[in-house]
Amino acid sequence: MTDPVLSVERLSVDYRSGTERVHAVTDVSFTIPPGRVVGIVGETGCGKSTLAQAIPRLLPEPPAEIVSGHIVFRGTDLVAVPRRRLPLVRGTGIGMIFQEPLNSLNPALRVYDQVAEAVQIRHWRDIGLLPTFRGGSKPFDYSRRPLPETSAVLSRPITPGGAVAEKAQRRLTDRLDAREEVLRYLRLVRIQDPETVLDRYPHELSGGMRQRIMIAMALSERPSLLIADEPTSALDVTIQAQVLTLMKELIDEVQASILFISHDFGVIAEIADDLGVMYAGRLVEFGPVADVFRTPRHPYTRGLLRAVPERYKSDGPLEVIPGSVPHLARLPAGCSYHPRCPLAQDLCRVDPPPALRTVKGSAERAPHQSACHFAEEVGTTP
Amino acid sequence: MGRSLEDLAIFVGKRLLQLLPVLFGVIVLAFLITHVAAIDPCPRWYPKAGHATIMHCEAQFSRPVPVQFYDYFTQLLSGNWGTSQSGDPVLPHILAGVPATLELVLASLFLMIVIGIPLGVLGAAYAGRWADHLVRIFYLSGWATPTFVGAILVVYYLAPTLGLPTSGVYSAAPPFPERTHMSVVDALLAGNLPYTVDALKHLVLPAAVLAFINMGIATRMTRASMLEVLPLDFVRAARMKGLSNFVVLYKHALRNALITTTTVLGVTAGGLLAGTVVIEEIFQWPGIGAYAYVSLGATGVPNFDGAIAVVVVFALGVVLANLVADILYGILDPRVEWR
Ligand SMILES: Nc1ncnc2c1ncn2[C@@H]1O[C@H](COP(=O)(O)OP(=O)(O)O)[C@@H](O)[C@H]1O
Ligand code: SF4
Ligand SMILES: [Mg+2]
Repeated sequence: MTDPVLSVERLSVDYRSGTERVHAVTDVSFTIPPGRVVGIVGETGCGKSTLAQAIPRLLPEPPAEIVSGHIVFRGTDLVAVPRRRLPLVRGTGIGMIFQEPLNSLNPALRVYDQVAEAVQIRHWRDIGLLPTFRGGSKPFDYSRRPLPETSAVLSRPITPGGAVAEKAQRRLTDRLDAREEVLRYLRLVRIQDPETVLDRYPHELSGGMRQRIMIAMALSERPSLLIADEPTSALDVTIQAQVLTLMKELIDEVQASILFISHDFGVIAEIADDLGVMYAGRLVEFGPVADVFRTPRHPYTRGLLRAVPERYKSDGPLEVIPGSVPHLARLPAGCSYHPRCPLAQDLCRVDPPPALRTVKGSAERAPHQSACHFAEEVGTTP
Repeated sequence: MGRSLEDLAIFVGKRLLQLLPVLFGVIVLAFLITHVAAIDPCPRWYPKAGHATIMHCEAQFSRPVPVQFYDYFTQLLSGNWGTSQSGDPVLPHILAGVPATLELVLASLFLMIVIGIPLGVLGAAYAGRWADHLVRIFYLSGWATPTFVGAILVVYYLAPTLGLPTSGVYSAAPPFPERTHMSVVDALLAGNLPYTVDALKHLVLPAAVLAFINMGIATRMTRASMLEVLPLDFVRAARMKGLSNFVVLYKHALRNALITTTTVLGVTAGGLLAGTVVIEEIFQWPGIGAYAYVSLGATGVPNFDGAIAVVVVFALGVVLANLVADILYGILDPRVEWR
């Protein structure tokens, strides 16, 4: 089996504020194999963004603190990488799309300058003008894959292919035509009329447009791993659907390894291969999307799925999980979910269940994991 | 409305027009303070003058105030700004002093920008750590230093150590005409390199003291607005491109933080001009500050014609500085539309 692009091992992240410690991420482990899309769902405040930003070590430390665990990206533990070398990992190594498109472009710079910067970094790293991150494992093949210009969906292919394409490719390596390259990526994210968009400032563009530009910017560095932190949540519904469709097409096209974070099961169902469910800073369930949807192995997942409208469940009225999310600085003893859990036993109140264990009877190659004492019973009990 | 050059021109024109009532108000105020609020002004104005002069002066003062002001104001407009203590007209002093002061103020503004702003960035980047504390100690000590103490310490301790001059603009009378009254510019215009270096040597200490004392505002504002900008998503997005910390700080974050800092720098113009009064006197800088020092009576008899002129020029300086700051603000922030 190929090495995973990313393997997060027993990661715990706290925020320290005053004397309080907010356990935003606790004992989280999962892996992302090459070319696979891993979705993470959970309610607002359960630590999704903290997890997303902890991976490329983007969290301000302090107040954030990686308490324990490893973030092994392409064979290198990022937790051990010195701070000043972190920029090498970002961009071409790990790219990111943020939740708030309105805030994630620099308001003082034109679109061109911002995308060109990304294109330029990729180029300079390719030709060795800038130092590049060399993981323990050899550079992941995504970066060596043909540029997306060969994609059929591109409205205007730049090179017809064959010898000409090869020549164009070589020219690109020698001297970058940044403008053409930027335009190419704007077209890739289906921006109509990219030439005029180039000269615009972010405030002159709609939210959907800005998010497309963010996506273009992240993709233009051709990262080995792309992290998308609720990329559609802040957009209104129609735009959300458009951007989602775009992302789905692009994911097929670029075949990147992706960590896709959302609070919306529907979105994850459409995009992810594997699904992780977070509750109160912990990953409580992880497995192939279809398995998790069909037979949830954690009462929380089951509760969430029942709270999802029509399309994703068979019948019964819409349910809401009773109780509220615990404060991450004052987690209950035992299983953090026990005050809300319909299956809770005495054991749950005192004995915290182990971090994810493979559920009995799940496929060995695609294990279905749960952090519930009674994972095996969840599917059957109403 | 928009951001074209034409819009900018209209904006500047309107602002300049708005400036006129402000200036008029300043003149009225300065006039009232010197001519109406002053008790028994004539013997003070002319302590050594004969009886006839005093009588004439008092006759002038017994006229109704609006008449006095009308008289004064029409004279001002016609270019008669009154006479200095020495008996020569005020206006030439002002015209020669303004460029010299401008040179000094611009030089210290330059130092404030190239030293004060990076220090603010440093303080924000290492907020709460020792680098931040050092920066704070530095700018607070500048802030807390009375101008004359700072200037005197520099003249007596720093200048001899560095071997820098502390008086005047050149070491010897220049062999070229002082056309602009800006020492460095004049020497450059004359193509005289030794004099240019000499002028810079004379400029550096007064400018440094002035900058040191006013730097705190630039540093503090930069630090504060950087701290506001740094947690924003676009700074994180810039980091996630793989940009170095330096580029993230100076290209992405500072570019936005400066929008606030510029406005505040415009406000420091008042502080800088106030500082020139003492600094120019101590460093014998032939600017308007030194002239203000003399006119306000610090060395003996006050001269109210000179004082009003200085007040008006300082007011003009502050207002223009704010206009420049507003223009820079609009240039830095693409969301601003000129109105
Ligand atoms: N800078 C911070 N300092 C202290 N607590 C924080 C900080 N950022 C986030 N948190 C807390 O960490 C928890 C997880 O936040 P976050 O990762 O943003 O959740 P999500 O993305 O799932 O909504 C929340 O309870 C939030 O209050
Ligand atoms: S461990 Fe107990 S309380 Fe926790 S989810 Fe499972 S059954 Fe519920
Ligand atoms: Mg979030």
